[in-house]
Amino acid sequence: MLLSIVIFLPLLGVIAIALFRSLGANTVKWIALGVGLLTFIISIRLYTEFEQDVAGFQIENSELYQKQDWVEGLGISYHIGIDGISLWLVLLTTFLTPICILAAWNSVEKGLSGFMMSLLALETGMLGVFCALDLFLFFVFWEAMLIPMYFLIGIWGGERRIYATIKFVLYTMAGSALMLVGILALYFQNDDNGFDLTTLLVKTSFDHSMLLFLAFFIAFAIKVPLFPFHTWLPDAHVEAPTVGSVILAGVLLKMGTYGIVRFCLPLFPEAAANATPWIVPLAIIGIIYGALVAMVQPDLKKLVAYSSVSHLGFVVLGLFSQNEAGIQGSVIQMINHGLSTGALFLLVGMIYERRHSRMIVDFGGLAKKMPIFATIFLIVTLSSIGLPFLNGFVGEFMILLGSFVGGAFSKWYVVFATSGVILAAVYMLWMYQRVMFGTLDSTNESLPDLNPREIAVLLPILLFIVWIGVFPKTFMDPMEKSVNEVVAKVKVKDTDDTPAEGQLILDEEGKGSVIMHVKSANLQSIEEEAQTK
Amino acid sequence: MPDIDWSLLMPQLVIVATLFIVLVFDMFDSISKKMHAWMTIVGSGIALWSSINLLNAGTDTIQFNDMFRIDSYSLFFNIIFLVSTILVALFSISYLGKDDKKQGPYYLLILLATLGMMLMAAGNELIIVFLGLELMSLSLYVLAGYFRESPASSEAGMKYLLLGAFASAFFLYGIALIYGATGTTSIPGIAEKLTTESQSPLLLAGIFLLIVGFGFKVAVVPFHQWAPDVYEGAPTTIAAFISAGPKAAGFAAFIRIFTEALPNLHTEWSGVIILIAMLTMTVGNVIAIAQTNIKRMLAYSSIAHAGYVLIGLAAANSDGKSSAMIYLFVYCVMNIGAFGAVILARTADGESLVISDYAGLGFRKPLLGGFLTLMLLSLAGFPPTAGFVGKFYIFKSAIGAELYLLVIVGAINTAISAFYYLRVVVTMYMREPEEELEFNPYPSTLVIGLVLAAIGILLIGILPSLLFNTAQNAVL
Repeated sequence: MLLSIVIFLPLLGVIAIALFRSLGANTVKWIALGVGLLTFIISIRLYTEFEQDVAGFQIENSELYQKQDWVEGLGISYHIGIDGISLWLVLLTTFLTPICILAAWNSVEKGLSGFMMSLLALETGMLGVFCALDLFLFFVFWEAMLIPMYFLIGIWGGERRIYATIKFVLYTMAGSALMLVGILALYFQNDDNGFDLTTLLVKTSFDHSMLLFLAFFIAFAIKVPLFPFHTWLPDAHVEAPTVGSVILAGVLLKMGTYGIVRFCLPLFPEAAANATPWIVPLAIIGIIYGALVAMVQPDLKKLVAYSSVSHLGFVVLGLFSQNEAGIQGSVIQMINHGLSTGALFLLVGMIYERRHSRMIVDFGGLAKKMPIFATIFLIVTLSSIGLPFLNGFVGEFMILLGSFVGGAFSKWYVVFATSGVILAAVYMLWMYQRVMFGTLDSTNESLPDLNPREIAVLLPILLFIVWIGVFPKTFMDPMEKSVNEVVAKVKVKDTDDTPAEGQLILDEEGKGSVIMHVKSANLQSIEEEAQTK
Repeated sequence: MPDIDWSLLMPQLVIVATLFIVLVFDMFDSISKKMHAWMTIVGSGIALWSSINLLNAGTDTIQFNDMFRIDSYSLFFNIIFLVSTILVALFSISYLGKDDKKQGPYYLLILLATLGMMLMAAGNELIIVFLGLELMSLSLYVLAGYFRESPASSEAGMKYLLLGAFASAFFLYGIALIYGATGTTSIPGIAEKLTTESQSPLLLAGIFLLIVGFGFKVAVVPFHQWAPDVYEGAPTTIAAFISAGPKAAGFAAFIRIFTEALPNLHTEWSGVIILIAMLTMTVGNVIAIAQTNIKRMLAYSSIAHAGYVLIGLAAANSDGKSSAMIYLFVYCVMNIGAFGAVILARTADGESLVISDYAGLGFRKPLLGGFLTLMLLSLAGFPPTAGFVGKFYIFKSAIGAELYLLVIVGAINTAISAFYYLRVVVTMYMREPEEELEFNPYPSTLVIGLVLAAIGILLIGILPSLLFNTAQNAVL
């Protein structure tokens, strides 16, 4: 039940705002903030209820798992649950939403109630995507979430907002159209279990698994966005209001990488292994291309947007390394990127509200006038670059380590990917230098430093940036079992013809028997060969 | 006197009775003409109630010398027709306004058309289907040209009459050829013949002509050209009516004949249906993008939606049949709802039909904006609306029949359609109006109709089992 409450509480907030919108802007803001904070506080209980020793979904705990028939005739159920991977993404979502509400406190000029309603409806959609264990339910949330985002960019965005919002929706819909076909095709291979993901995950093989893998992967690759599907991202980011960018970078992009680790890898491991040589180069192109393009951007927001392409390339690289370190690093990097890029967008938004410009050339020497701003900006910048003891380092290090040591691809790829870390330092520090140091422009003389509200928006993010950097164990431990589960599935099928000895030890009953089966089949064929001879 | 159970004919009889009452009342000038609308609504309501009762009782009989089949399939379609009629009648009250003289025949023709549709869905005989088709079509020709003073309306009526007459001729010729090949016009009779006899070229030609005839009536590519002109010229309420009930009726007979009389020839006709479905969806959606007039846009969108329904027919399994039924129900409600929102957007000069007139409407007229947005999102197939559920079920049935390519084309078309539906939403919420248009106040009957449609769309979207169980039982 707890999980359902967390998912749908924001939707109740939407209804509350709709009912009380006539009471004025302040009431609407406080309702939104109250609902956002309450959702976050309740969601903390998800963490305390979470059993770290349980692999996979927490089926035993009725607070964290729920299954009810929804449309019986079609095999659709209301089926939700979390594991160590989705737990963190859920918490990231509930954490960022109240921050966004507070960040938008004074910046929305028209249609405030609509803005807050969209934001809260979006939260429900995102939480639903991370918790759904029924493919139909997943798709419902996946698509429904587009509508509030479409309004957020389209109504409250910048000058070219309409172009950006339509591009965003069409890209996503084009991808999800194929995913829908894939979902339906899986339904017919699920032995009368309807759209249940948990029974699909137990199955060992599917017909046309490569096509199914692609149907899902393309939808997720567009969302990530993986090069060359990234072109919607800079437009959407630049035109979106600050809060829209934060949610977009912080959570929406993670839905793509989450989809890969939840569906593509464990459902179609063979296809994923076969596709790895094609996908990894794309991820690396994304890392380097994103970084190079970010370097030459004159616009702060665009720079951060392209840095997202680069960072998400790392996450995809880690996921396809197909080993524990790489995938764990990717999951932690999803959180990191949500925090640090979210914070960067907030900071860019704050400076834009003061100066009404995002052009780097318009700034310089701000550190003298806005010391608090400059300090926070520096910490976030360093976190984004991956300085040790800040969060970015943990994720990137694990991804690179995992890919280098145990990656299912050439080590040379990792060497190229590592250059992305250096490039990140170049474009971020160069940007910081141009904005914060140098001579202060006379028009910037009067810029005020951050006010208490803005500091309150940023401080919680800083707390976690440092926490993850210094003591990542808090975050690693709950996800470890779940990640191992994914890795075990990938490895079992990866080596279908010649199962290694060691893998038998890794796996529990179900998968053990799979290997035995494969083995006996091999034996049989050997025997047959011997007989014919 | 054959043994007839009149209680089973309640829905049709109630409509006939209402028809006569409206006819008689129209003779007295002292009675407010608004009464006609309310009588139509009440009569259709009673017919709806009795259809639901018969459906719940699990009725399945064949009456009138095996010519008239009352089963859950025809009763389910009755519900679609009657819901459409009630919604259109609600919208018409304010739309026709004070023009008193015109109202009697208007509602009379709507009721006649409804009766024709019910005959089509219940026909167990090709002749009955044809009778129903003609009863419906003739009423619609007059309705499309109902605004005599408006050249556009007259043109619409004329065009519809000419092309519709052609289609009827094709259809009748098809029936004649099938009769020539099989010696019967009874639907079960044809099916029986086809199990023993091999197919003849005559029969295939007959089937082809039937497809052409139905293709015209339900407006699928390449027989769709009349639709945009007729929708644009006809009174908006009638455009809503033509786009909903008659299309569902055409499909009711189409699906019944092809799955019950010709299932043995499935391999022969399914290829044609698949091709037409792909063409219809793609052409409808792509041309809709280029439209600037909202009625024409909705016309092309309704062409595209006929393509989605054809996917269910092409699948031709029990899922396919029930998904087509559900889709038609959902489509009728959301499409009439969309037209209703267009009717709501009236200014002193008349209707606002150019999409750019809707700029800024979302904030100035939140209720209207909300209704239109909901209907368009449902047409585009976004969850949690009924449109999504309907499309999902259609696609599922086709994947079950292994028509992967067809579903991929359908799914991509869904993405294309999102573009033009959302463009209207963009105009309403994201563009500033060039000139301030004065919109008329909301007529309460129209708002009631829209609220009903909106509740239906959301309810089916969130709790689809309400509709699914009925439809799935209907095809068993």
